[in-house]
Amino acid sequence: MLKRTTQVAVTAGAMVLAAGTAIADPYEPYRGQTLVANFPAHPHYTAVMQVLSDFTEETGIEVEVDLLQYLKMREKQTLELTKNSGDYDLIAYVVFSKADYVYADQLENLAKYFMNPRLADPDYDAEDLIDGYVGNIGIAGGEKGYLPGPTGSLFGIPFGSETSILGYRKDIFDKHDLKVPETYDELLELACLIPELEPGMGGLASRAASGHHASHAFLLHLAPLGGRIFDENWEPIVNNEAGVAAAEALKTFVDCGPEGAQTFGFAEAGASFLQGQTAMFLDSTVFAGQVNDPEKSKVVGLVEWAPHPMGVRRGSQTGGFGIAIPKNAENKEAAFLLMQWLTSKHADKLIALAGGNPSRYSTHADAEVNKVYPHMATFGEALEYADPDWRPIIPVWGKINADLGTALSKVLTEDLDIQEALDGVAERTRAVMDEAGYYTWQ
Amino acid sequence: MGAITLGRMTPYVFLAPAAAFMIVGLLYPIGYMVYASFLDWNPSQRIGEAEWIGLRNYVNLLQDDAFRESMFVTLKFASIVVSLEMLLGVGLALLLDREIRGVAVLRTIFILPMMIAPIVVGLMWRYMYHPTVGIFNRTLEDWGFQPIPWLSDANWALTSVIIADVWQWTPFIFILALAALQSLPRSALEAARIDGASAWQQIIYVKLPLMMPVLIVTALLRLIDAFKVLEVILVMTNGGPGLSTEILALRVYRTASEFRELGVAAAMSNYLLMLLLVLTVAMFIYNKVTEARAARLRQMAEKG
Repeated sequence: MLKRTTQVAVTAGAMVLAAGTAIADPYEPYRGQTLVANFPAHPHYTAVMQVLSDFTEETGIEVEVDLLQYLKMREKQTLELTKNSGDYDLIAYVVFSKADYVYADQLENLAKYFMNPRLADPDYDAEDLIDGYVGNIGIAGGEKGYLPGPTGSLFGIPFGSETSILGYRKDIFDKHDLKVPETYDELLELACLIPELEPGMGGLASRAASGHHASHAFLLHLAPLGGRIFDENWEPIVNNEAGVAAAEALKTFVDCGPEGAQTFGFAEAGASFLQGQTAMFLDSTVFAGQVNDPEKSKVVGLVEWAPHPMGVRRGSQTGGFGIAIPKNAENKEAAFLLMQWLTSKHADKLIALAGGNPSRYSTHADAEVNKVYPHMATFGEALEYADPDWRPIIPVWGKINADLGTALSKVLTEDLDIQEALDGVAERTRAVMDEAGYYTWQ
Repeated sequence: MGAITLGRMTPYVFLAPAAAFMIVGLLYPIGYMVYASFLDWNPSQRIGEAEWIGLRNYVNLLQDDAFRESMFVTLKFASIVVSLEMLLGVGLALLLDREIRGVAVLRTIFILPMMIAPIVVGLMWRYMYHPTVGIFNRTLEDWGFQPIPWLSDANWALTSVIIADVWQWTPFIFILALAALQSLPRSALEAARIDGASAWQQIIYVKLPLMMPVLIVTALLRLIDAFKVLEVILVMTNGGPGLSTEILALRVYRTASEFRELGVAAAMSNYLLMLLLVLTVAMFIYNKVTEARAARLRQMAEKG
């Protein structure tokens, strides 16, 4: 009898304990819910897929992922977000979608979630998130409308973000006793010196294909060389001295680049570096994961990384993806919990170890992460100069971007005069901006 | 009275389902597109939220250099490809319209390119045109020639795209022309042979004129298709370098997805539609005129 009583007491005690933990579990009310996330097919999200099961295990919230090629993803989201009740609880979005989605009022303002004590994790440490990324991808409504500022607020959190970084062939640099370029002058000189030292090898792999690729490559150089697309009053200044210098730099890189560089997209530029046909690579950090993959790369172990060289200032690109909760999502609170978990210090590290792009300074500095990916510390340094305003994030940017890319392609392939090309871009850009109402108050 | 009305109504009752299908399946989407072309509509808005701007999209397009250039590229591309394909396709058909051993296999091989998915065709050609590892440039270099900037030079790029299209679509003309050839009245050909017509004379005076109605329809179908070709060029050049291969269909696609201007894209499609309509009507009128002339000639011959 006594034995039985003890047994009952123990069971009751265990139940009380279990109930106790249940109260302390912020995920409890959402246990058993299923979230639908829309992610791009992208190396970062491949890594994310590997840690999602940890989230389910920890919280009891199931996650289904709809994985799409990133342009397809954007198209699908555009339709999905206009519906009354959407299928997605959490979406990853490309940075230029911020302008479209926020402007169309399709994303949840995150303030009410971070204000909710039942949802917000006090150990989240938002200070640790990379400033350039948060400003570029997460915040809207401040300066210029698309940047942080007194009137801005948070709509998304960077997740799978990228900056630009210089990759170089250590073996080639050692062989000819070359110095890793720190400024644009050095970079330009080296880019054309290498084909002379190593016949058949291109200096710097750059994208240049007509349209988005050419424009992207140009913008990479524009910010460090001191340029911008618009001045403070939205007047196009892309055709000023800095703009011309950036276009000249692009032309030099392409002319001294590997054969056929005029039509390279991101993939081709990367491939030419991986195949050992080019000595340097200046583009997004997302590329770094492939360099030491023997299936894709012939330069395993030969590549080192340095920050994006400096022109008149430092300014590396910011881009990639963020995650946000659509206005028409069904399980918004659980989606916030997933979002918070994914971008927490803990998950950021897990994802980095699985090959993703971390969004936190602490992960870049983490010893364990650096042991697996020695370049992470360099990337962390480069991130301090990540420029959230290296390219405007406004709804009409798609059109201006395409025009800029076409004009630059003509410079690269048809020998169109640079000043003339950029003057044309500036003039057409002004017309686009005028029609979009940017000069209403002038 | 009731029965008579019913009797009169019968044909309409039978026509009704077809008419309903036409309205739902054909007129509604076209009407939707025409309506959209008068709107300033971006894909983040529902169509009801878009602003009505009348003819502004159409007017702006006429002043848009990029649109005009792409219209010009389209016309150039379509006219060159269709002429080349007609020439080659009909030529091949004339050559292969005979009893040689294995001709059936040969014919099947000839129409293979047409059956490959356009994206694959684009990729295939892109790799063949690759500046360093592509088969063309490697062969040229092996033979001691300078490599050609197939896709990276504005002038070459259009030529390269045309070559790929001709490769893919000549078979289409070929099978239709072959079918037309084989259904020609044997009596006319026999009469020509008995009259001592040479092979060339048979082709020029008998076969081609008799095939003409089919050839015209074939050319028209190809032309319509050539105006809308998208995937192959999208994969091969994405319109570049510059705008040298940006045909209208690609421009429409980019306007809708990249520039997010659905109204402008709709207006562009309508311009394309109008252009094709003009071409079709012109072909139709030409057909009518030649038929009328033939009928007149026949009448005269019968009288005489």
